[in-house]
Amino acid sequence: MVEPVIDVRDLVKRYADLTAVDGISFHVDPGEMFSLLGPNGAGKTTTVEILEGLRNPTSGDARVLGVDVRSGYRKIRERVGVLPQDFEPFDRLKPREAIAYWAALFDRALGDTEAADLIQTVGLTDRADALAMNLSGGEKRRLGIAMSLVGRPELVFLDEPTTGLDPGARRELWGLIRQLKRQGTTIVLTTHYLDEAEQLADDVAIMNHGKVVAHGSPTQLINDYGGGSAIVLAGAEDAGLGALRARGITAELQGTDVVVRVPVAGDMRRMLEKLASIEMPLNEIYTRRASLEDVFLKLVGARMQEGVLAA
Amino acid sequence: MNRVLADIKAFGIQYLRSRVGTFFALVFPILLILLFGAIFGSSGTSRATLFVQDVDNKSASHAFIDALNQTNLTTVQMIPGTANFSQYLRDHSINVALQIPAGFQEALETAQNGTRANVTLTLAGDQTQSSYGIAVSAVNAIAAKFNLEVVGASPVVSVELTSLPGLRHFTYIDLFLPGIIGFTILSTPLFGMTAICSEYRSRRYFKLLATTKLSKAQWLASKVVFHILLLFASVALMVLVGIFVFSMKAVVTPMALILIMAGTLEFTSLGMVLGIFVRDPETGAAIANAIGFPMMFLAGSFFPVDAMPAFLQTGARFLPLTYINEGLRATMTFANDTTALVDLGITMVFAVVFFVVAARGLSWKSK
Repeated sequence: MVEPVIDVRDLVKRYADLTAVDGISFHVDPGEMFSLLGPNGAGKTTTVEILEGLRNPTSGDARVLGVDVRSGYRKIRERVGVLPQDFEPFDRLKPREAIAYWAALFDRALGDTEAADLIQTVGLTDRADALAMNLSGGEKRRLGIAMSLVGRPELVFLDEPTTGLDPGARRELWGLIRQLKRQGTTIVLTTHYLDEAEQLADDVAIMNHGKVVAHGSPTQLINDYGGGSAIVLAGAEDAGLGALRARGITAELQGTDVVVRVPVAGDMRRMLEKLASIEMPLNEIYTRRASLEDVFLKLVGARMQEGVLAA
Repeated sequence: MNRVLADIKAFGIQYLRSRVGTFFALVFPILLILLFGAIFGSSGTSRATLFVQDVDNKSASHAFIDALNQTNLTTVQMIPGTANFSQYLRDHSINVALQIPAGFQEALETAQNGTRANVTLTLAGDQTQSSYGIAVSAVNAIAAKFNLEVVGASPVVSVELTSLPGLRHFTYIDLFLPGIIGFTILSTPLFGMTAICSEYRSRRYFKLLATTKLSKAQWLASKVVFHILLLFASVALMVLVGIFVFSMKAVVTPMALILIMAGTLEFTSLGMVLGIFVRDPETGAAIANAIGFPMMFLAGSFFPVDAMPAFLQTGARFLPLTYINEGLRATMTFANDTTALVDLGITMVFAVVFFVVAARGLSWKSK
């Protein structure tokens, strides 16, 4: 049996009047992309910072690369790379200098070719000699990822790597993260973007109020908790909802849209025909597959607000 | 060791690219030396401009004015003999002026013939101005000389100016430059480290560094070593300016170098303490200013502590910068390493206390 890269059991982090992490357990296998997903304040960053050796847990066990994070973190520091939440580079260093500096802090002598390769990997070749203060938000995060990789880590923590970036920069970073995974690096990705976890992660643990409320692959979570597919009657409003209920069809109002759940895929055609025969005001009718948002709606009671989870 | 060197290099690059830091560490002290040196430095005293109205306008009054010019204390500028003396002073905002009345030569000639005579010079001026005191000294000295010559006497008591045995011949700049070095030892690390620690905490650099193999002790050591190197560069520039511009005689002794290192450790550590314990960067900067600026003046950076009132002299004994200033003056100017050694010991005590507090207060980990 392969030893997990991360093994967390009954982990608790308690402050005076707050339990930030409340007895969570999970493990991450080698080469896996594991995502901790949850709204702000769910306990994701606290969990990750315990695993990074930056905080001591109140109780429970957390082992990273087989070493207890309380007592042995110094031993594994060179085997782990970290991109912290809200990463800010050193403003007056150029990416090339920052990478050389960071390599020295991991006792690595980075040759020019190796540094150039790393810069190329994160797509900063053209910006390698610009001051970090002049980089865009996406370029700064890419520099952060490059710095996290200088020690050739077996495990990389990416704590909300795309927060605050525009959609184009987010997708560029997704490509980079996928590339790291293909190279066999184990990645722990913390995010509050549902699509990010759905697109990138092999395994997702959904956190809320310090607890893991669901754990599995995105497909598994959607199948288990997403409620199947749905038919959306856009703009049907209360009148549409009333018309459906009068015919005995269960539906819910989401904004101005009326949503009809279809738990079994084989029932979709029959339900569409039934809805088409009902007179109601609507702008558009379409079907959609259940997503992690539906999982969240059910498990956490959270909705997306401007692309981000809100509790 | 490589990690410390890498941190010094990276920090140094950033520091030198921050023009504000470079200006205050390397350029500002030079400007102070040039400014104060130009004001006070040329001969140890300054010449006062003395306006003179020669109402008598004869050979004796001309000789008196020539004598005033030769004292090197005053530069004479003439007021027209026909002008209203008081009105002229008001109209031209003159600080100090001398009036030689009509009958000046006649009075001298009468006295030379053995007959009692008296003539009164009028010296008008603003007694709060230093030029007034200089003018009084010069005019009294020349008047005394004329009185002796009139009665045919020669001076009995004279004074010869000489240096003390073992004491280097020094000028204003030799006393001033050690104070400016002390000022730089305080200002560069104290203000710099307060800002750096605040920035590192607010931008989460400490947390970022904690994910590397660099230890807290190595980071602290790197900052102390960097500031020592920076101070050495700054002192080298100051000394070069002192020597080549003001012919400074003070010497950077080995004891001075040790004092500079100890002082830099002291104020780098104090800056860390402020930056670490004060959560808000603006508050940290305000406290650093509130501590630093009064200390510069009260600890004798710009003028000797002995010149201050007694209660301030007592207060100065509690200021760490006092011992750096006094130690540097003792070794650099007065060649007195014994006194400097005592100052070094006190400085080291302050430095160790501040460093221990900073090292214990700086946490690599979050709570």
